[in-house]
Amino acid sequence: MSFLYSLRLTRWGIAGFSTLAFTLTLLQSVGFYQVVGHTPAERAAFGRSMAQLAAQFTVLIAAPIRPDTVGGYVQWRAYSFFAILFAIWALVSAYGAARGDEERGMVEQILATGTARADALVTRILSFAAGCVVAVTAAAVGVVVGVSGAHESIGIDSLAGVSVNLLALALSCYALTLLVCQFAASRYATAASAIVMLGLFLLNSLSRQLDQLSGWRWLSPFRYYDLSQPLAPAGAFDVRGVEVLFGSAALMTVAAAVAFSYRDVGSPLVRIPVAPHPVVREPDRNPVWRVPVLRDLYDRRAGLAAWTAGVALLGVLMVILTRSMVEPLLALAQLRPYFNVFITGGVYPSFLGFIWFGFAQLLIAGYAIAQVARWSAEDTDGRLEALLSSPISRRGVLIERATVAMIGALVIAAVSGVAVGIESHVQSIDLNQGRLIAASLLLVAMAMFFAAIGALLASLLPRATVGLLGGFAFVSYFIVQLAPIFHWPTWTQDLSAFHLYGQPLSSGVDVTGLVIMLLVVAVGFVASALMMGRRDVGA
Amino acid sequence: MAVAALSTSRLTKDYGGGHGLFDLDLVIHPQQVFGYLGPNGAGKTTTIRCVMGMIRPTSGSAHVFGIDCMRDAVEVKKRVGYLPGDIPQFGGMTGTEIVAYFGGMRGGVDAKRVSGLCDRFDLDLGRRFREYSSGNKQKLGIVLAFMHAPDLLILDEPTGGLDPLNRQEFYRLLREERDSGATVFLSSHVLSEVEHVCDQVGIIRAGRLVRVADLAELHRIRFHHVELEFADGSDIPEKAMRHAEGVTDVKVEGHIVTCTVHGSFAPLLDALHGAEVTNLVSREPSLEEMFLEYYQERSELPLLP
Repeated sequence: MSFLYSLRLTRWGIAGFSTLAFTLTLLQSVGFYQVVGHTPAERAAFGRSMAQLAAQFTVLIAAPIRPDTVGGYVQWRAYSFFAILFAIWALVSAYGAARGDEERGMVEQILATGTARADALVTRILSFAAGCVVAVTAAAVGVVVGVSGAHESIGIDSLAGVSVNLLALALSCYALTLLVCQFAASRYATAASAIVMLGLFLLNSLSRQLDQLSGWRWLSPFRYYDLSQPLAPAGAFDVRGVEVLFGSAALMTVAAAVAFSYRDVGSPLVRIPVAPHPVVREPDRNPVWRVPVLRDLYDRRAGLAAWTAGVALLGVLMVILTRSMVEPLLALAQLRPYFNVFITGGVYPSFLGFIWFGFAQLLIAGYAIAQVARWSAEDTDGRLEALLSSPISRRGVLIERATVAMIGALVIAAVSGVAVGIESHVQSIDLNQGRLIAASLLLVAMAMFFAAIGALLASLLPRATVGLLGGFAFVSYFIVQLAPIFHWPTWTQDLSAFHLYGQPLSSGVDVTGLVIMLLVVAVGFVASALMMGRRDVGA
Repeated sequence: MAVAALSTSRLTKDYGGGHGLFDLDLVIHPQQVFGYLGPNGAGKTTTIRCVMGMIRPTSGSAHVFGIDCMRDAVEVKKRVGYLPGDIPQFGGMTGTEIVAYFGGMRGGVDAKRVSGLCDRFDLDLGRRFREYSSGNKQKLGIVLAFMHAPDLLILDEPTGGLDPLNRQEFYRLLREERDSGATVFLSSHVLSEVEHVCDQVGIIRAGRLVRVADLAELHRIRFHHVELEFADGSDIPEKAMRHAEGVTDVKVEGHIVTCTVHGSFAPLLDALHGAEVTNLVSREPSLEEMFLEYYQERSELPLLP
């Protein structure tokens, strides 16, 4: 398998993550100068505030070193986040290399050309490493550009150190996924890898607060990543930690290659015997298959249940954390101007509205994008053609899809709303019931807003739909988060889909935003119906 | 006169660069098995997808039992069973769920008919789609197309992936459906398949229908490979054979001559007048050979009206 071909397979990941890495480091380094103050005293005070703020989040990311400096701040705000981001990239990419390509039949084709299995695997990890080098370099360039704008500089050795550390972590995560994928059946390989990765991440992050876990954190690659914080002035570059990451990547790659050479293509190394089942010759008797909308909801019941439980649990977690997060922060005079941006009513409802419902919008947009991704996939894998060979019109398919998406969003919003309401009561946070209901229902409107745009895009450009819609959601989210900090003009915030949501928990429903959302939903689906009626299926 | 089961009028789908389907005029009568033959890329699937309303024709029209395929697509599909060339990917759904899902969309699907079809093809619906072999995926596609006993079956290369036994079972099923009143439109690039089941054949090439013929007519335009053995020392009338009408590919090796005879044998026999022939073997070509010959030499040979 040629290196260049392997690189070509990951080109979109490389382009996307490089752009993202560059943008985030640039924004964080430019943003640092916006919020840090001008005098040494202001900077020191800002540093103390950030350290206190960071102390609330050590369960997720390591505490910063010298956040009063651009190096310490960017190390904390960008590179700590990159550990999660690059681990996800490594997970997705390694699954594709280890099992996804097998599902598509590519591995058989490659092996049929006489390529050795070990060579195929090593080529994939080398191409991922090359892509990672591009992405970490883009991140470093973002820092340089951001810092040079303020007529400061940052040491090239620090940048090289932080880049090598990130590269080592990404390769270690990639090799780990390659190894796990050898032992799991294709359909479980992603979940198994994700569980292992999440477990190792939580092992390291929770060990910062739970002493019982500290004896085990050597198992986690994230632990070795945390040992180096070379961008911060007093931060170290832990050579030993980086060596462990590269060494473990090499060892796990060798182990994965050995496992790959012993297993059947398309099967895990260890196969669990399938229990014999009686031969079935009849259609499933469940009457739900005969009811429009319900049949699709039933077909997706596992996914919907996972989304609902996940969003509700996160909501409850946010409510539990609200008091412990907000009380120390309110004591910081330096953060008051920032808080004044979004505190419009009661303090806790405002915080909850900003933190939880801000995040819930992103989650519900993610749910809508997942639905749209399915619609696009149905077009390319022939399921839409199969649907349309039944006596159902294209418009009927569209209406059924929209209804399923809406009911799914409603279930997620309702369950998470109830969970947040109950937990708020337990935590003695006084939420207005009417506003909580309105805030939850607005999530449905937000989901349909994204679904309508997605339906239109899927009618026009089915293959590019998910990327375009995901990019729109991502940019929208960051506009809402960053515009108040950077004092961006109002019109930039109007470009964000999430701006339409407003602050319903603290200020009530923004009627203008709601009307715009509903208009987009109506126009999007009507235009989609017209487009879909005219276009060729599968084209 | 009964309305045509399937008809097209100057049906055209122009993809540009000479690719697509052009001016297709076709009439298929009820209770007929129509074979639609052509090599890869000839336009068979484009025709079928136009008829099924999956793609919009550039011009022209298609009707199923007199119903416009684009305007009244839903009504058309109530009467049609469709097997696409590529079976859709149903992922983790089990066969029984897939059949229930599409059966639910149609309504009125008889579970006994489904189990009968599964029995015939030995298909286990209890397994997940992604675990099916390509042959089993094809069998599932056949079940989905036939389960509601449609009036018209539109089948795009239906036997791909089926083993010979299941293929024979499929041909039997087609005959039974025709005998019970259904019409079948079957695309294929395998002539032997057509030989087994079709009443009439349409041949398409480069997006254009080049011929519609019933099987008897196809047999008439067949050619024969002939081998003649002459007595030792006798004269071989090579020149006369080469000039005989319909005789081509004359090759002489010692006292054995081979040639191909198109149409009547009379000109060849005239050419052999007076020669001492000790043995004559005529071999009827397979439909496949005839199909290839037809394409290769179409420009040289006159088409039958």
